[in-house]
Parts: sequence; C-alpha cells; structure tokens
Amino acid sequence: MGKQLHENICEEHLFSSIFNKHAKDLHNFLYYKFGNLLNPKDKVQEAFIKLWENCAKISPEKAKSFVFTTANNLMLNEVAHQKVVLKHQQTKPKMSTNENPEFLMQESEYNDKLQKALSNLTEAQREAFMMNRVEGKRFKEIAETLGISTKAVEKRIYGALAKLRKDIKEL
Amino acid sequence: MNREELISKWLDNNLNNQEFKAFKNLEDYDELVKLNNNLQAFKADNYDTSKELENVLSAIKSKKQTSTQWFKPLMRVAAILAVCFGLYYYTTTLDTKISTEYAQKTTIELPDASSVSLNAKTYLAFNKKDWKHEREVELYGEAFFKVAKGSSFKVKTTSGIVTVYGTQFNVKQRDNYFEVICYEGLVGVTYNSQETKLKPGDSFLIIDGKTIAKEKENRIMPSWLNNASTFISLPYKTVIAEFERQYNVEVNLIDIDSEQLFTGSFAHDNIDVALKAITLPLPAKYSKSNNTITLKGE
Repeated sequence: MGKQLHENICEEHLFSSIFNKHAKDLHNFLYYKFGNLLNPKDKVQEAFIKLWENCAKISPEKAKSFVFTTANNLMLNEVAHQKVVLKHQQTKPKMSTNENPEFLMQESEYNDKLQKALSNLTEAQREAFMMNRVEGKRFKEIAETLGISTKAVEKRIYGALAKLRKDIKEL
Repeated sequence: MNREELISKWLDNNLNNQEFKAFKNLEDYDELVKLNNNLQAFKADNYDTSKELENVLSAIKSKKQTSTQWFKPLMRVAAILAVCFGLYYYTTTLDTKISTEYAQKTTIELPDASSVSLNAKTYLAFNKKDWKHEREVELYGEAFFKVAKGSSFKVKTTSGIVTVYGTQFNVKQRDNYFEVICYEGLVGVTYNSQETKLKPGDSFLIIDGKTIAKEKENRIMPSWLNNASTFISLPYKTVIAEFERQYNVEVNLIDIDSEQLFTGSFAHDNIDVALKAITLPLPAKYSKSNNTITLKGE
C-alpha cells in the first residue's frame, strides 16, 4: 500500500476527478441492472451528493465502492422487483441496404424478442453482459467495476449469451 | 480450440487473427453477429459526465445554502432564549424590595416561615436567592420580626447590625434614633462594633449617639402592631416624628421644648384623639390646617 496522498475527498477538484472517473460507469451499471424506469441519472447524482456529505470519512480509494453501493441501495429501495425493460433506441445501426418492408418487419420482430429475452436475464447476468457487449468492456474491467473475479464475469456473460439465444429461438 | 472457448474469447474481444478465422467458420457465427448488432440498440442513454457533474456540484451548493438557512433562524431563537434567560437570572437574583408609605403598614412573609411587619415609611430589602446561605435583610425604618428557627438572621441598618438567635424582636431605626426590643429568644445588637445581647424584655436604645437605659419591656409585641405608638421617657421630637409618619402631616412646634421627655401613647386611627393624647400631658393646644398641624405650648 502506497502512502495516501489525500486522506479524504473534501476538495472540489478531487471530488470532480472521482466523478469524471466513475459517474458514467455507475450510470451504465445502474441502467443495465435496473433499466430506465427508475431514473439512473438521479441515483448517480444522489449517490455523489451523499459522497460529498460524507467526504470527511471517505478516502479516495473507498469512494468508488461507496458510490456504487449507495446508488445500488437507492435503487433497491425503490425497485419492487418489477421486470426490467431496456429501452430500444430508435437509431438503428444501418447494417444493410436492402431495407424492404419484409426485412424491417423481421428486424422489428427480432428486436422485440431480444428485448423480452433481456428482461428474462438475471440482474447479475444482464449488467455484466451489457457492459461487455454494448460498452465494449473487457472481462477484467467489468470484474473490477463489480468487485468480483474475472472467472465469475466470464461465467455470467457466457451464461447470459446462451440464455438469450435459447430464448430468442423459443419465442 | 473448441467452440465454447472461441465464443468466450470473442466475448472478451480477445481473439487473434487465427482464432478469428476459426470463429468465423463456426456455424452460429451469423447468429452471434446479428445478436450483437441488434444489442447495440439497447445502449444506455448517453451520459454527459461534465453536465452531470455540474448538476451535482450545484445541488451540493444549494444544499449548503439550505443548511445555512436553518442555521440563521436557529441563531435567532438561541439569542432570544439567551436574553430571556439573562433577564430571568437577573430578576431572580435581584433583591426583593418592600417599602411602606406614610400611614401604611404591611406584613410580609420571608422565604422561610419568618415574617416581618413593617411600620409606616419603612424600607426593607432581602435576597430570595441567597436566603438559604444567609438570612439577611436591610432595613430603614421600623419593623417587627418573627424569625423562624434556623441559622442566624441578620438585620442590617445604617446604625448597626441586629443578629437574631431567637424569634421575636422589634427594630426601630430613624434619624438619630436606634432601638431594638427583644420580645422572645435572644437578639444580638452590634453597634460601633460592640455586640450587646438582649434577652426577652430587654431593649437597646440609642438617641443622638447616646445609649439610654430603659425599663424592662413587659408587653409581648410592640404597640404599633395594635395601631398605637407608645413612648416611655422619650424626647418629644421622636413622638412628633412618629406622629408625622403615621398621619402623613407636618407638625410645627411653638413654645414647646422638643427635648423634654414624654411618656404616653397615641392611636393610629383617629387623628383628633391622637392629638389630644400628645398635647394634653404637656399641656399644649393644637390647630389643624390642611396637612399642617401647629402645636402651641401654654
């Protein structure tokens, strides 16, 4: 353990740098885990305000786990274990040029299935899988963010992929 | 390398060229790519870190302001409480003062079971707060004390200090006149730093700085408590002074020696009877006009 440069994070520039480093990850984590209905942006803000209020007690190393735990708890307080539905963005990636009506219909059907299949994943599977697939994060990074082992992350993601494919076929 | 391992490596974005070719040749390659492409549409909302940081910082600042907003009214309340408490403390530690006017008598209870009767034109002060440590009253004028048993009880006058060991005594302090009569128990009188102890019936009298011996007092309480003033061999001027205090009048003497000794009494409730009582023995005549009474020797 190196010597701590700062004992706490009560200085604004220190607080800002922590925010810049972790806020986006935290937001995406909350979004993939709990969906959009419970407003992850607000929870991020609340968690960081709580961090500031307790800044005297928290060292910079502890700040990340503090905001993640706090935001997660804030979410859990509200979530009544309703099904998480991820919002389908309207901006579809333009992959193909032959956008005839049939293709579009197939696409739309596929996306509906995908959306349902995503809702059927467990929270743990979904958060890891979406961070990996959509945010392009490596297993190791996800493991650090979630505070679990790389092996566990791999298992979750692989499991999620298998489940998704199965569900899509069946639906 | 088997299929599972390839997919897992693909998921971790960790395929080398050779592995990638092998992965491409998997039968479910197309399906995986399609799934992956469609998944991109479920990307989280764009998160503008710098904008959100601004929001958080401003929220923190506005919270800080609200915290000072409750602080201010709290200080106001605290200030009011401080003033109230100060006032309360000041008034309760202040001496209690009682005074009587001309022709007025009153009886008051002291903080313990003791009581004091004040004759006309008398001032008495004592401190309620200190009463437990020190039973002490200040007196200008005449008062009759009934002192409850307890620690020593002091009556301070400008002429001397009366210390009480017993229960009932009368103190009279007027211009150049200081008299203490003990009716019950034991009373100590300190005059010119000399203490005289009075037993029941004893009295201590100083007029114009001279000690005057008096007969044993055999009444059980001073006569003024029964609305009469009694004098035994006292200078006529002290009689007139008392008369003035009881009736709130001014008395002028013509052809009368104010130093001559007088024995007798007058009542406090009838000025004509009282005037007769103090003029007949001399003898003298009196005439009244408003608040002035003129006594003329014959």
